Amino acid sequence: MDKLLDVKGLKTHFHMHGYTVRAVDGVDFSLGVGETLGIVGESGCGKSQTSMSVMRLIPDPPGKIEAGEILLRGRDLLKISETEMRKIRGNNISMIFQEPMTSLNPVYSIGYQISEVLMLHRDMTKEDALKESVRLLKLVGMSDPEERVSEYPFQLSGGLRQRVMIAIAMACEPDIMIADEPTTALDVTIQAQILRLMADLKARTGTSIMFITHDLAVIASFADRVMVMYAGVVVEQAPVRDIFKKPLHPYTQGLLGSIPVLGEVKKRADGSRQLLNAIPGSLPDHRNFPKGCRFAPRCTKVMARCWEAEPALVPIEEGHQVRCFLHSDAVQETPAYAEVKRGQQRKWQRADRRAQNAGAGADTTGGRS
Amino acid sequence: MSDTLIKVTGLKKTFPVKASAFSSKSLTLRAVDGVDLELKRGETLGVVGESGCGKTTVGRCLLRLYEPDAGRVWLEPEASLVSQVSQIDESVAAMAEELGTLSGQPTKTTADKARVRTLKQQIARNKAHANELASTSDLLSMSRARLKANRRRIQMVFQDPWASLNPHMVVKDIVGEGPLEYGTHSGRELDRWVHELLEKVGLPPQAANRYPHEFSGGQRQRIGIARALALTPSLIVCDEPVSALDVSIQAQILNLLISLQDDFDLTFIFIAHDLSVVQYISDRVAVMYLGKVVETADSATLYANPRHPYTRSLLAAVPVADPDHPNELRPPEGDVPSPVNPPSGCTFHPRCRHRIDICDKVIPVLGKDQNGHVISCHNPPNG
Repeated sequence: MDKLLDVKGLKTHFHMHGYTVRAVDGVDFSLGVGETLGIVGESGCGKSQTSMSVMRLIPDPPGKIEAGEILLRGRDLLKISETEMRKIRGNNISMIFQEPMTSLNPVYSIGYQISEVLMLHRDMTKEDALKESVRLLKLVGMSDPEERVSEYPFQLSGGLRQRVMIAIAMACEPDIMIADEPTTALDVTIQAQILRLMADLKARTGTSIMFITHDLAVIASFADRVMVMYAGVVVEQAPVRDIFKKPLHPYTQGLLGSIPVLGEVKKRADGSRQLLNAIPGSLPDHRNFPKGCRFAPRCTKVMARCWEAEPALVPIEEGHQVRCFLHSDAVQETPAYAEVKRGQQRKWQRADRRAQNAGAGADTTGGRS
Repeated sequence: MSDTLIKVTGLKKTFPVKASAFSSKSLTLRAVDGVDLELKRGETLGVVGESGCGKTTVGRCLLRLYEPDAGRVWLEPEASLVSQVSQIDESVAAMAEELGTLSGQPTKTTADKARVRTLKQQIARNKAHANELASTSDLLSMSRARLKANRRRIQMVFQDPWASLNPHMVVKDIVGEGPLEYGTHSGRELDRWVHELLEKVGLPPQAANRYPHEFSGGQRQRIGIARALALTPSLIVCDEPVSALDVSIQAQILNLLISLQDDFDLTFIFIAHDLSVVQYISDRVAVMYLGKVVETADSATLYANPRHPYTRSLLAAVPVADPDHPNELRPPEGDVPSPVNPPSGCTFHPRCRHRIDICDKVIPVLGKDQNGHVISCHNPPNG
């Protein structure tokens, strides 16, 4: 499969008062033409910040893309100007946000909000754009699109608003559509409708999709490949069947065990209650990652060396990568640092950059824009 | 003491809504339209349905956070009392119907007028009598003092852990407010009790002196659960306690609720929109649609053999964590109709795949089928 998007060594850090939050801490992935990549992880694991970095929508300050490359058809999005980036947003890469309530403008009709994209990117006249909007609304399965174009977001239900968001995202037939938890705020029934719609659109237009979610079950029937993130790094990446049939990383296994299975009997044979295999604890503090493996404090299979060094992401099989000492002895080169104080920050950044330069050869500045 | 902890009969709740922002015309939104439920001690009843089906309103009516328009909520009722009161309630309903037809007539004879007068008197008298009888165990007709004494037996865990904790209070005060008000614990003893509760819900003792904003969503929900436990209630109404949480945290909270149920001898009403979650934690499940219960069954048989078309489509909507899972069932199309103007007949008929001619004309009645499911459907699929 051709690589449409190729992200290498992406680091997005937030410099707060006196400390640094390393939201995305060295993420590599690629997206093929017509491929659907699922990005899974808990809130705060950096999955949304990864997609925001791809769109270059990180608020700066306090956020900053410290290192890495984001290659769209071989062109580094981190090196182009803001004007050029604006042409890419909506045209080549578009985004669907989690909250359909807050991401639509309440004072404009939905017809206008779809037309806006078309007038800006495809130089349409107002009339043509409105006609096209009606067509797009029909495409996303809205009934009576001719009347609905003049309605306002508050007149629509959550599911319909998300359909409008998808229509806006699809308006310029982008190469990549990033869906950031598009169904989390919706009822299960409406979620099923939206997933069906996205699968239909993908089949019809061949758009590549980056689908971000915290619920593995949502993407089981939808994604081609799944990337599991934890505390700013990728811990496992594999084709969808491998993730569900033979998950290797304990975190992926924990996420799968957290999902209640329909029809599963609640009682054990001896009559006691059957509990879910939940992952204990919560995400580590971003200011103070554990020294070794970031998942070690919550891991059920933790070993002595997990506390000492951070494992590297290594391929185990064709297309299946995992970051765990259970499966490989490779150690991550860059040291994981504990509490990063203001004074230490620059020193560490220099060290990081040196390591980056040593690794990537001629790459000098990475994402410093 | 009877085995039944709580019994809800004919619960109705309407809200007035304006026809539009500038209109003075008022419409009636029937949020809960005649719901009957019964819970045994130690049981978990799941209530499931889409947004706007009235499941939250039912939960809030049980605690009288909303004042229901009609119906009774019996707490540990005597069976004889319930049947006695419901007989009177039925006769009142029959009289009210007669009164309705009489006053609907355009011309009235003197005899009619006299009848109307006596009917009105009888209704008022019988109602007062029924309420007086019921007031020993019906939460809705109780005196304020008795209601307060009984209220500590029913507690609630709310949906949004960001909105349901007072940001100005430290955790110690949030959890300890109930015991202080009821005088069950005070001083050092209260501190000990709060620490014990925090430990039970898996929070460190240092949490007692912190503010809610210092906690993550899952931890806040734990604080909400500790608050609900503080008065050692018999029944906890959990209103979508996990829908705002990540799946991994959701599993932790579900496990916590299950283990607390054994420790504290609790009965749960578990409200959610995700059938997989409800089915997992519940012994019995009630499926609601537009203010009515459409199917009730044991959670195991509900999955194995769903009867109502709506239950089937809810099951179909649950994503399955298996890429090879054949998804033959299809989710329901469209949105939930407005409860201000519900469809005629069976309210599900516009979205139903199994509808027949009768469905848009006659309202189906809840009835038991051969497997013990209670459903309201004219043409149930699955035999």
